[in-house]
Order: sequence, then structure tokens, then C-alpha cells
Amino acid sequence: MPSYTATCPFCGLLCDDLLVEAQAAQSGGEVLRPLRGICERSRAAFATLGASDCAVASARTAGKPTTLETALEAASAILREARRPLIGGLAVDVAGMRATLELARRLGAIVDHAASRIKYRNLHVLQEAGWITTTLAEVKNRADLLVLVGDGWHARFPRFVERVIGPQTDLLGSPLTRRIILADEAAAAAAGALPLQFERLSLHAPKSALPALFAMLGAQAAGQPVDPARFPVVAADLLAQCAEWLRAARYGVVVWAAADLDFPHAELALQALSRLLRVLNRTGRFAGLPLAGTNGDLTANAVHTWQAGVAFPASHANGQIDFDPHRYAMDEVLARREADCLLWISSLSADSAPPPCEIPTLVLGRADIELRNEPKVFVPVATPGIDCDGHLLRTDKVISLHLRRLRSGTLPSVPQVVHGLLKRLG
Amino acid sequence: MLTKLANAVVVDPANGVNEVVTDLFLRDGRIAPPPAEGEHVDRVYDLSGLIVMAGAIDLHTHIGGGKVNLARAMLPEIDRRDAVPATEVCGACMGGAAPSTLATGYRYAAMGYTACFEPAMLPVNARQAHMEMGDTPLVDKGAYALLGNDDFFLRLLAGGAAQAEINDYVGWTLHASQAMAIKVVNAGGISAFKFNQRKLDVDDPHPHYRVSPRQVIRSLTRAVHELGVPHPLHVHASNLGVPGNVESTLATIDAAEGRPIHLTHVQFHSYGTEGERKFSSAAQRIAEAVNRAPNVSVDVGQIIFGQTVTASADSMLQHRNARHARPHKWVVMDIECDSGCGVVPFRYRDKDFVNALQWAIGLELFLLVRDPWRVFLTTDHPNGGPFTSYPHLIKLLMDRGFRNDMLAAVHPAAAELSSLKDLQREYSLYEIAIMTRAAPARILGLHDRGHLGEGAAADVVVYEPDRDPERMFARPRYVFKDGELVVERGEVKSVSSGSIHTVKPQFDRGIERKLEDYFARYHTMSMASFKLGDDEVRECGRTSGLIVHPCRESPR
Repeated sequence: MPSYTATCPFCGLLCDDLLVEAQAAQSGGEVLRPLRGICERSRAAFATLGASDCAVASARTAGKPTTLETALEAASAILREARRPLIGGLAVDVAGMRATLELARRLGAIVDHAASRIKYRNLHVLQEAGWITTTLAEVKNRADLLVLVGDGWHARFPRFVERVIGPQTDLLGSPLTRRIILADEAAAAAAGALPLQFERLSLHAPKSALPALFAMLGAQAAGQPVDPARFPVVAADLLAQCAEWLRAARYGVVVWAAADLDFPHAELALQALSRLLRVLNRTGRFAGLPLAGTNGDLTANAVHTWQAGVAFPASHANGQIDFDPHRYAMDEVLARREADCLLWISSLSADSAPPPCEIPTLVLGRADIELRNEPKVFVPVATPGIDCDGHLLRTDKVISLHLRRLRSGTLPSVPQVVHGLLKRLG
Repeated sequence: MLTKLANAVVVDPANGVNEVVTDLFLRDGRIAPPPAEGEHVDRVYDLSGLIVMAGAIDLHTHIGGGKVNLARAMLPEIDRRDAVPATEVCGACMGGAAPSTLATGYRYAAMGYTACFEPAMLPVNARQAHMEMGDTPLVDKGAYALLGNDDFFLRLLAGGAAQAEINDYVGWTLHASQAMAIKVVNAGGISAFKFNQRKLDVDDPHPHYRVSPRQVIRSLTRAVHELGVPHPLHVHASNLGVPGNVESTLATIDAAEGRPIHLTHVQFHSYGTEGERKFSSAAQRIAEAVNRAPNVSVDVGQIIFGQTVTASADSMLQHRNARHARPHKWVVMDIECDSGCGVVPFRYRDKDFVNALQWAIGLELFLLVRDPWRVFLTTDHPNGGPFTSYPHLIKLLMDRGFRNDMLAAVHPAAAELSSLKDLQREYSLYEIAIMTRAAPARILGLHDRGHLGEGAAADVVVYEPDRDPERMFARPRYVFKDGELVVERGEVKSVSSGSIHTVKPQFDRGIERKLEDYFARYHTMSMASFKLGDDEVRECGRTSGLIVHPCRESPR
């Protein structure tokens, strides 16, 4: 039975040390079983997508199985009629996004990612103030202090601890020991995932108090007068100890996943965090590590940004590019009924389904995608790193990895489907 | 397909041709010998009175890779002022301080450039850099891999590794990242910044590895030379932008010990400390050193007044310069035990003392370095200004009256504290052709580019002579890429993808045993994941054209 070293496409860490076994099934297609390097997230994905029928799933029009040809004809007929199409989802790899952009230009579509609101929390701060950030290998080999915000570092990126902060590497001499500050309640609740040998400090700040916490630590680090009494949610002695740890760090890293900052005006927390990082770098070294990259959010955005020159959400209508994170946000566009057709592309995610809407919906989706409503046309597409080769950007936006096909099957890739549509649209 | 360019006034310095009227033939993407009598010619262009040169080559322009993309994402308000609408053949995109890949390709080609080299490709970011270059249409691309701040190299050097082992690592890096040359940025300084060091002079020891920038430069110039890589080590010297950095620049030249070395954006490294404001031009000293040392070449990194964004691997100096950011936002990154980056938007103002003097220093360097084969036309795009300002820059070099008029209009310090007003030199068309075509091709080892001899790539530009060189160079009548007409009267008429240029020197693959273990221990991906293969780079680069240029026989 063949087994392959594989790179996992199911979260932004892109762990490249998986061992996956492929076995032909009698019913056609191949079953995939991960043997090594598995986490909760990838286990769930392999359990459904790895089934043999997923490798040979068939297209549907109006809920009935059909050929790819028929599905493409039906989809292109709908797209041809659309006056204001919206291309959403965008859980795709580089080749998928390159093709999607060709289609967006041809259709004059609005494009947006399923997680765009979350992504914009970070992008907003980049465009307002900027960042000092770092990457996984720097954290692994250099970070002697980590400030963990939320529990995404464990719940959303299950092997982050094992692969990045667990190892006590000796690149710079003696084995690295780390101190950990758990900023909020969610972080503290996940502390069991951390290695025992690291010294810890739990601040237990409620999530909604994070903007104030970062602002206070920033002011404190800048030597401005602060009154801990005005911030009663964290005990004064804990704050003092936190400030002391920040001062003592040789290389400190603040880790968060923007998805965890799901409270109104979360960008305030990130703005205050950006300022805290700047202040700490006046005299020492500190950096942020935003965790992202899952479901192609960074990949799709990077390709859009380099080809178009701006991030999305954006409109490609009228032979022009217009970036506007509020006007073109997918939910807003749908709520204002400004789109007359939704093309949803999600080759990486099964739980990123199109939002319920009344306009004709076409889905190019992972074979095991969970759809709440049957779309006009459904085309199961190859998942990069499973059914076809692909490239994805990792959480730190610097590394991109080449993912290899692990099994044979009948699924077309997103570029193949999109080029089929472009050909029919003429 | 056989195309005849009849009665062309050819300027082709690589072949010693200066405004000679002749017919050129383009066949199958190459400059071809005249066809046999009676053979059918598919297309004839009568170029009577028009100047014909090889496609221009930019050997230092930041067009692809993570830091450029950060700059794009960061500045929508600047991009928005420079929208590029769709045409029948071009996609809609944004220009701006860090233009989109599409706009970059369109605009370079429209100016008669047919090859661009990204000078700061982080090996860990090579895949993305090649993808961005792959989405840059019309021009050929290549990239220089960054070394000298990566922990693997610094460990080798600190551990007293033999030069042969360092050479193997450098050779391996060129292969693994599909690069054309090696660059070092602020040797050791980017790494030192991760240890909270804020300045590293050429003879200062690195805070952890205890090796000096001089040792890094010496070791890498030697490795590049001994591997036979055509392009010399491409060096962004220590102390970029710091008054008095002329000393570290001269020390960097010295560190090469007579081996070939290319100093990039040398304008940013030619500053003295004279005068009341402790900031002065040291262009004369640098130019004299370059004139004296035939192993040294430079590109200038001219600044152009206006809004731009600076994107550099030099995290140490970009963090230091961040206080000058306009608009006030900036990004600094430490990157993957490999390198770093800093993105700082910048507005160069003609009435500003420092900026005006920087402008004058750049021009002094152009005019004082005597050999046009060793000084290259760059703005360090986008750091000194956009590449679209090259025609304006050419006019500054060719037209003394225009230059002096501008000098009179900028902050008076430029005239008072530099020698620019005394410089009479005007570049000839022939010299412009050297510095923008023949010389970059030669110094990069591109034997079939940068000239119009038989067998060369049919990258050909046709200009209408004009008393105003800016107008002439901004809008060529025709541009042919690989023999196909792609631009007419400055407008893109068809879109193709260029080739990727690389070198692949011989090295001992035994180095991979050490690297494999290093990656497994310290990196967050395997060595196999890091390496970029030939098929993959073609896919990323969206081209079948992967051109491997020969390396010299090892001088060892």
C-alpha cells in the first residue's frame, strides 16, 4: 500500500511532516488514511474527505447528478445572464485564485473571502498603523517570552504548541526556555496544552478588556503614568509582574488568531497591540505573530493583492479595480441585494458554505462540503494537497509550500473548472 | 515568422555599433541573419530615422516577494490615485507606490524594458517571489538570493568552516531558490537586529556569532567568484542612509579584497558628516574609489521627488528610519532565521534639505563614475522612486541645462554641499544604451540579451528621436519581445509571459546531509519542502522558459 509524506492543507500551519496512506477502494476512488502528524483538525478532514467516494464525486444540477460538461454549461448560462455577480468563499490555492481572478475580470465581479471580516481586523491595523511581526522559525528558536491571546493557538492551530513553542531548541546555544503570559480567560482555559516546564502567568482578562489591557501595557512600557486601579479586571500585582516579564524578555512574541477577537471593535485591541509592540521595540525586541492562513484566506488575498495591487473585498466591475472593505464585504453586498448571482468557490473547506441567499448560487466545492441549500449547480473540485497539486501560503505570510496530490480520482481542479467556464463564456 | 526592421538606426554598444543604418531580421524569437534572396518576409517595418536598441534591462528593481506585497496591501490610499483601467489586452489593476505585478509588467514593457531582476529574494520566500514574477507579464525575470544574515551561514562562518563548504552552501542556495545571483543586505546586521543590536559597522562583531560584516562580505564574494557565478556579489552595504556611511561603503569595497563586487543603490551609502547639519555628499570619494577599482560596479538608486514606499530586507535600518514614514505607518519583520524586512512609505520633497542633497548625490555619482559599463541606471524601485521615472532620470543625465534648472529649484543645500553644479558631463545616447542594456547584460552573464547581434533574443525597442530624451524614452514607437510586437506608441498591444533566468553552478551535494538535519532541528519545514524544483518554478513563474546561464570555470 503506498504511503506519502504530505503537507496538510487544513490549517495555516501547513505541517509538512504527515505520512498518509492511499488505498484503492472497490467502489472506485482511493481512501486516504493519515498515519503520522495528525491533529484533531486534519483527522476530521481526512475522515470525510479521505473517503473513496469523495475522490469520484459527481457534479449536480438542481440536486441531480450530472456530468461535468452539463454542469459547466448550466453554470456558464447563469453567469452569462448575471449583471452583477459575486464570487465568494475563495478557499483556494494559488492556481485556484489565479484562475478565479481571470474569471472575476471577465465577469466584472465583486470578490470576497468567506473569512474576510476576520482577515480585515488585521488588515485594518496594517493600513492604519503597521506591525512588527515574526515567523514560525523565529518563534521556535528565539522567543523566550510568549503572550498568548485567545485559544486559537491551540483550538484553531492544533500543532502550534508541538511544532513551534514546545521544542527547546539550541540554535542559539543552550536549550531555549520560555515564559508564557496567558492574556485572557480563553488563553488560560487552554493552558493545559502547554509544556509543563514553561513558567506561566495568567492575567484572566475578559476578552472585551483586551483593548484596555494592551493600551495599559503600552502606556506602562512607554513610561507614561498609569493607574492600575482604573483597570480593575486584572489584579495590580499581576499587571506589574506582566510588565516585568515584558521588560526582561530578550525576544517576546504576542500570538493571536484574529478569528478569536470576535467582539465589537476588535480592531481597537489590535491597534493597541500594534502600539505596544512599537513601544517595546524602542529598547528591546518584540514581535507579533498573527495566526491565519486557514482555508486559503492569506493565499487568496496575496494573489489578489499582487495581481490587482490592492487587497479584497474588491470590485472588478467596469474594467476597474475598487478596494472597499465595507462596500464590497460579501454579507453587505448580499444584504443590500447588490448581487444577482453568487459563485462560491471552496476547494479547501467543507464547512465554508455559501450564506443563504435568494439569488442563483453556483458552488465549486470540496467534495464533502456541507451545503445548507442545494445550489443551482454544484461541481465537486479537487482539494489541493489531496486530489491535486497546489501552493498555499502559511500563517506567517512568508513561507508558501508545494502540496502534492495524494490520490487519483475524477475531480477537476478549480483552474480546470474555471477555465471551462471561461471557454464557454467566450 | 520572419520580420524585417528596415533602415533601422542601430545603437548597439555590445557590438560597437553607434547609430549605423541597417536592416535587422527577427526570426523565431531571435535576431537572424538576412534571409536568402527571394525568401518571403512576413512583416516589414520601415524604421527610417528611428533609433533601435536592444530591450532595456533593469538589474535592480523590487518587483516581487513578500515585502512588495505588504507594501501593496498597506497603501490603498496611494494605489487608488493611480488606477490602471482594463484594455482589450490588459487587465485592470493598480499602479501606485508599489504597483501590482500586472501594472509592473505593462509599464516596464511600455518603456522598452524587456528584463527585470528582483534583487532581494529571501530563499524562504523564493516560491512566492517566483509566483509574483510569474504574474508580471511581458518581461523576463530573475532574482538574487539573499544570504549573509541567515543563521546557517553565520554558524558556518562562526564555526570556522572551510571556504569550500561555504561555496557548497551558496551553490545549493542558488539551485534551491532558482536564483540568478547572490545578494547580501547589511551583512550580519539583519540578524544582529534580532538580538536587539541597532548598528553594526563593517568591523563590529555580530552580538552572537562574533563574526563581522567584513568577514561575511569576504567569504561571500569569494564563494560567488569561486563558483563562477557571472554576477558579482550584489551588496547592500552596512549603515544605509546613515550620515558618514561613506566609511563603511569604502570598507565594504575593501572587504572584497579585489574580487568582483557590485554595490547597489550606492547613493544611499555615499554620505559624509560635514557641514552644520552633519550631512554632506561623499559622492566624490565613492566615485574615485570606483574609478580606481575595476572589480567594483555600482547602481545608483537615484531618488525622485514624490511619494513612494521603501521596501527592504534591512529590518535594522528600516526600523531606524520608520520615524520618517509618510504616511505614518510601517511594517518590520524578522523572518525565519533567514532574513528580515521593513516597509516604510516615504515622501521625498525637493525643498527638504536631506532629500535635495540625496538627489544631488545620486546625480553626482552618475556623472563622476567614468565608465558607463560599471554604473547602472536604477532608482532602487520603489525605494528611491518608481521605475517609471527612468525617462526623466535619463533626461537629467543627458541634458545639463535641464539638470541645472532643477538644481536651482530644489533646496539650496543640493547646490551648496555637492559638486553637481560644476559637473559638465552629459551622457550620450550611446552611453545610455550601455548603462541600460549592454552593461547590465554583461554583468549578469546574459550572453544573448542586451545586444542586437545575430542569435540574440529578439527583444528590440524602436524610439523616435526627440530633442527631449524624456519624451523619447517614455514612449517607444515599437517594442518587440522575443520577436513579437508587444508595444506600439507606448501602448501594450499583446501580452506574453517572459522567461526566468537562473544560474546553476556545480557544488558538492554532500552539504545536503548537514542541511537536512539543520532543517529538521531548527526550521518549521523540511529541506525538501524548502527546495524549488525546475518544474515547480516553471509553474509558479507561468512560463516554459527557464533559462540556465553558464557559470565560468571555477578559478580554483
